[in-house]
Amino acid sequence: MDEGLTLIHPSQYNRKGDCLQDIILEMKDIEMTFPGVKALGRVDFTLRSGQIHALLGENGAGKSTLIKVLTGVHRMDAGTILFEGTPIRPTSPMDAQKQGISTVYQEVNLCPNLTVAENIFIGRQPMRKGQIDWKTINHRAHELMLRMGMDIDVTLPLAIYPIAIQQMASIARAVDINARILILDEPTSSLDENEVRNLFSVMRELKNQGMGVIFITHFLDQVYAVADQLTVLRNGRLIGEYPVREISKLELVTAMIGKDINEIYNLQKAQPQEDASIVLDAQNIGIPGKVEDISLQVKEGELVGFAGLLGSGRTETAEMLFGVTHAIRGSIAMHGEVLTLKAPLDAIRKKIAFCPEDRKRDGIVADLSVRENIALAVQATRGFLHPLPQKEQQELADKYIQLLSIMTPDADKKVGELSGGNQQKVILARWMATNPDLLILDEPTRGIDVGAKAEIQRLMLEMCKEDRSVIFISSEIDEIIRCSNRIIVMRDLAKAAEVDGSACTQADILSIIANEGTKEEVV
Amino acid sequence: MRKTMLSSAFIRSKLFWAIVAELLILLVGFILRPDFLSIQLRTLSDGTTVLFGTPVDIFNRASEITIIAMGMTLVIALGGTDISVGALVAVSGAIALKFLRWDVLVYTTPGDYTVKPYYLALLLPLMTCTLMGLFNGVLIGKLKLQPIIATLILMVGGRGIAQIVTNGKQFTTQYTPFKFIGNGSVLGIPVPILITLVVILAVVLFVRRTSFGMFVESVGINPNASRVSGLRSDTIIIIAYVLTGLLSGISGLIYSSRISSNDSNNAGLGYEMDAILAVVIGGTSMTGGKFSLLGTLVGSLIIRTITTLVLYFGVVSEAIMAFKALIIAVVIVLQSEPVRNAIAKQRSKRTALGGEARA
Repeated sequence: MDEGLTLIHPSQYNRKGDCLQDIILEMKDIEMTFPGVKALGRVDFTLRSGQIHALLGENGAGKSTLIKVLTGVHRMDAGTILFEGTPIRPTSPMDAQKQGISTVYQEVNLCPNLTVAENIFIGRQPMRKGQIDWKTINHRAHELMLRMGMDIDVTLPLAIYPIAIQQMASIARAVDINARILILDEPTSSLDENEVRNLFSVMRELKNQGMGVIFITHFLDQVYAVADQLTVLRNGRLIGEYPVREISKLELVTAMIGKDINEIYNLQKAQPQEDASIVLDAQNIGIPGKVEDISLQVKEGELVGFAGLLGSGRTETAEMLFGVTHAIRGSIAMHGEVLTLKAPLDAIRKKIAFCPEDRKRDGIVADLSVRENIALAVQATRGFLHPLPQKEQQELADKYIQLLSIMTPDADKKVGELSGGNQQKVILARWMATNPDLLILDEPTRGIDVGAKAEIQRLMLEMCKEDRSVIFISSEIDEIIRCSNRIIVMRDLAKAAEVDGSACTQADILSIIANEGTKEEVV
Repeated sequence: MRKTMLSSAFIRSKLFWAIVAELLILLVGFILRPDFLSIQLRTLSDGTTVLFGTPVDIFNRASEITIIAMGMTLVIALGGTDISVGALVAVSGAIALKFLRWDVLVYTTPGDYTVKPYYLALLLPLMTCTLMGLFNGVLIGKLKLQPIIATLILMVGGRGIAQIVTNGKQFTTQYTPFKFIGNGSVLGIPVPILITLVVILAVVLFVRRTSFGMFVESVGINPNASRVSGLRSDTIIIIAYVLTGLLSGISGLIYSSRISSNDSNNAGLGYEMDAILAVVIGGTSMTGGKFSLLGTLVGSLIIRTITTLVLYFGVVSEAIMAFKALIIAVVIVLQSEPVRNAIAKQRSKRTALGGEARA
């Protein structure tokens, strides 16, 4: 079994002797209604063999719904799906997988306590003499991960690896299943540049083998880098299908949001007063082995960006500032007062707020309503004995639903049922409701669409106008440059440089991250 | 339109099916013996009038479990469990009886007791059980022990402590104020029912009038996000276990008052399982999250109704446990998600008949 590595079994893609541009999948007139919402209205989607087809649209445009219809999570109300010419109607993701449609979801859907290898082969373990053939499993898993550019020990539990590697494992799993269609739903949102490159080369390889790849992403650059064809949805309707080479980025964004992009990206940087007082003053904070001594100051009305690769110490620093982890060394002061941060509550009481990076794990409380999620932090500072009256809670929720244009039928909807961008807005609302002086946002725009992204950036800048301060952490250097007054660049768990946000280019920051040329050392 | 949507959500809820199950069991009882559901006022020999009848008896006898299960609901909503409650029932009874015993060798008249005033004999057991709940809570909330392991300590140790308190003896009491708790009645309603109602009301008010319930659900659903949002999960966990300890103490007083005695070996035996079962039948998931106190009440009544039914129809005593398990299995299957969804779907198909050709 372990001779070489065939990602697709030859019999799969040759069974009809198809040439590379044959249509594998044809979805026609797909309609889907949720109670009260028309999620898809007469949408067509065509995928050819040997094609990477990007599916684009804002949150709530119907991309996920379309995919879920295809993978059997939802049943369509009307329409036909032709898979290699035969009509199909998958009844469950398992059923779809058996028919040759393999999916990697945005959120890692694996078992954290099993090993990487077990996760890749779970449910289809190669057997030998009636027993599971561990040797083959581990060997093949290692080769698969190697092909993704990850030389890791696959016999260790998945949970000990960062999200990026976990994501790669789920891609490896999907790729290794003999499939005709691979669906990648936001696969790159937790990957860094190198990892994205590896993923792309895997995608191209699959494409050359005749597989059809459906690629959902919010990174338009990636669409241009890897996709051949793209389909745009908006509000559950098909806007159009274009060859990637024939549509400009501007036209694409306009198609996605139905508005001119310049209108959206007309952002003005925050302008802190010359004599603005220092809000946050962190001196040499660090946790040995996790993040080295870091100093930073944030002024009133200032937006400080944190650039750097995933795992460079950005999140670790933010977590120290918020009391999620405890700085062993150094001191943190707000408005000149030195803080002892034993738990996040201590930081919240000192008017610090923190939107965590992992929205699902540390952000939303999925089964609680939008209203309860928004009120949660405010209520936490009051203690449970002083409940916010129901009416005030409702007003608070309504206020932020309107202010942040959160798309929800009402405040009683479970947060888990909203789309990613709207969940992010609910968390933002939770913190804005606490009326913070310093707001720390860790990857607030990850995995959300262009429109919502611009809205969140605008909100950050508006908070600065109200003399609040913002620390903005992001992997996307262009958005950091677009928004920040000052940029702190992190590398290898330490502060590599601090640069002026209005006088630097993407290349400057990249070269610091890559440790090229002279760097400006800051103590 | 709105109304049908609401009821369809309700039909999918576990609470709905718990109520259906309870009604079905009562119906079976009624069909077999029409007097199963009758309630009547009877005058006793001492001139007091008391409500009589199987439904009253079910509610009355369910008191011990219902009271404990109120606390257990919060514990389970937090993703935990407390298997020490049965032992705490024994501890509570042992301490009460130590002070209220009628020991012919020490006291000459039935009116003599070691502790005066009387309420101290109630307060001490309750305080002890509360402290034991605190012990559980600290182990779980602060030291992050697994709840089943942490509460196993007192499950085993509690009965030992009860034995030590009473020197391994079984005392009896004839002290009427104490016997009133389990056997008395006010305006015809048995006192245990009244205590249960007060406890339910108090817990509901505590949980829903403050934000405690929301905090419990939040921590139960997502402990990480709750912590980042500023919740002190350790405090919340400790309060839930302390409350469960206190409620176990109350339950222990009712139990020992009923039998006018303490029984360190058998008092509260198996209560932890019945209480957990009541919570789960009531619709609160063992993985934590959203909880329903009303559901727990129904769950507890179901368990008691089954026991009563089985006893009422003279099933041989050896078969009682097996029979009970059989009915519970049916209830739980009826409540399982696939079955609930299937029934709800059947129903919506019928209502939407003709409207939609395919579904």
